[in-house]
Amino acid sequence: MIQVSELHFSTEDGVKVLEDVHLRVDQGELMVIVGPAASGKSLLLGLLGAQIPPQQGQILVHGRNVARLGPDKILALRRRIGVYPQGFVPLSRTVHDNVIFKLRALGNYREQAEEKVLYALETAGLIRRQGVDALELSSIDRIRLGIALAICHDPLLLLIDEPFEGLAEPEKAEIARLVSRLNTGHLSILLATRGPVPPGMEMSRRVRLLDGMVKGA
Amino acid sequence: MRMFLFRELLGAIRTKSAVLLVLSGFLIFLFLASAAGFLMITPAEVSSTTEGQPVDELQVFLSPRLSSATIDEWFLAWRERSDVARLRFQFAQELDQTTTGGVFVVTPVDPSQASTLAEEFRSIDGVVEVVEVPRVKWIEPPAASLIARIALLVVLVLSIAASLFFFRRGYRELLAVFSGEIRMLRLSGISERTLIALVVALGVLIGCLGGLMLLAILYLLHRIALSTGGLQLFGGLISGIRILGTGLMAVGLGTVLGGLAGLLGASLLHRREFDPLP
Repeated sequence: MIQVSELHFSTEDGVKVLEDVHLRVDQGELMVIVGPAASGKSLLLGLLGAQIPPQQGQILVHGRNVARLGPDKILALRRRIGVYPQGFVPLSRTVHDNVIFKLRALGNYREQAEEKVLYALETAGLIRRQGVDALELSSIDRIRLGIALAICHDPLLLLIDEPFEGLAEPEKAEIARLVSRLNTGHLSILLATRGPVPPGMEMSRRVRLLDGMVKGA
Repeated sequence: MRMFLFRELLGAIRTKSAVLLVLSGFLIFLFLASAAGFLMITPAEVSSTTEGQPVDELQVFLSPRLSSATIDEWFLAWRERSDVARLRFQFAQELDQTTTGGVFVVTPVDPSQASTLAEEFRSIDGVVEVVEVPRVKWIEPPAASLIARIALLVVLVLSIAASLFFFRRGYRELLAVFSGEIRMLRLSGISERTLIALVVALGVLIGCLGGLMLLAILYLLHRIALSTGGLQLFGGLISGIRILGTGLMAVGLGTVLGGLAGLLGASLLHRREFDPLP
């Protein structure tokens, strides 16, 4: 489903961030990428999510080469990918309205959007907090909301960047279980973390990203 | 979808951005009003007078019974006179269709001596009439319309510059409030075209409202001008067609200006704070 080969990426200053990355993620797989800070995890997820254009190498998502897609196809691809960005900050509105904003913006009618909101909040464990102002949520609930936003439009690929940041160990395990629960059916998940991977994470594979190179793919 | 997003963008307007955007709209209105003022000013008419002016030329009407030889002889003799600066012959019909014969048009050297010269010509047998033609004085139009035009031009330039300045500040305030939404939209695969269109649409709306406001005010002034018999300086307010044309032009121009201001606002979208990824 996702195939990355000979992927290289350098900063404007010429610093190599990713070097000859090879990676394969199958449909329905949950892969965890572990690596220290500034090892290129977020960049790799940005490239896979078609948010950052690749410089060199090949990224195939659903059989399509991201580098060769036109602007409209890139947008269409982004709509099939759910992203939980690192340091996610919700919108200053209720939990429910956060999710409905995204769904309406993607062209869903209100009734259709309401159904999807309920499903996403139910899945993320936030259904009872849907009327709460998102900025007043606890850290773990913010992450739940970020995940709800990432899955609300029924994506084929979910990219989660550093979801355990600022959480206590039991909360990390709770988020790990939530992510594992999402890994059903067709949804492929890539989760990047500095590690260690909390208990409860039922992952298919774990790879290490070190100095821009993937080990154990 | 775009209407939903546009409503959301309008919902993000807070007091400060509202004040700045309303001010920008008012300045666009002021710009359009200045432009419309140019079309409403009464065109200045140049008038002339001969009253109290020195005699510039004498028209000496000759009897039609005079022979051409006599006329030739007089022409040669008068041309040599030291008190005649210029002399030309015309047929009397060229000046007055009811008369016949010829006319000598004499330009005296000294206008103050024109009357003496006229008396002398009148005493000559064969001269029917001598008309003293005074100099024409052209009267310049009153300076009020010129001052009004300059004032309008100054307001025109200042208002558009100030409008763009406040538009940019207003957009900055608004987009700062809407930045989270913009990041989410970009992350979700909403196109740049859509985002730019949202921002430009707001400018278009403000510009269009400025134009419509001017149209309404012009109509009101038109009604007042009709009931009071018109304003001296802005005589164009009397004409309904001109009011309608100017008003529609203002709406169109306001829309275009608002769109341009919107593009200026959209240029802020490239700032780093709107990037979806950290």
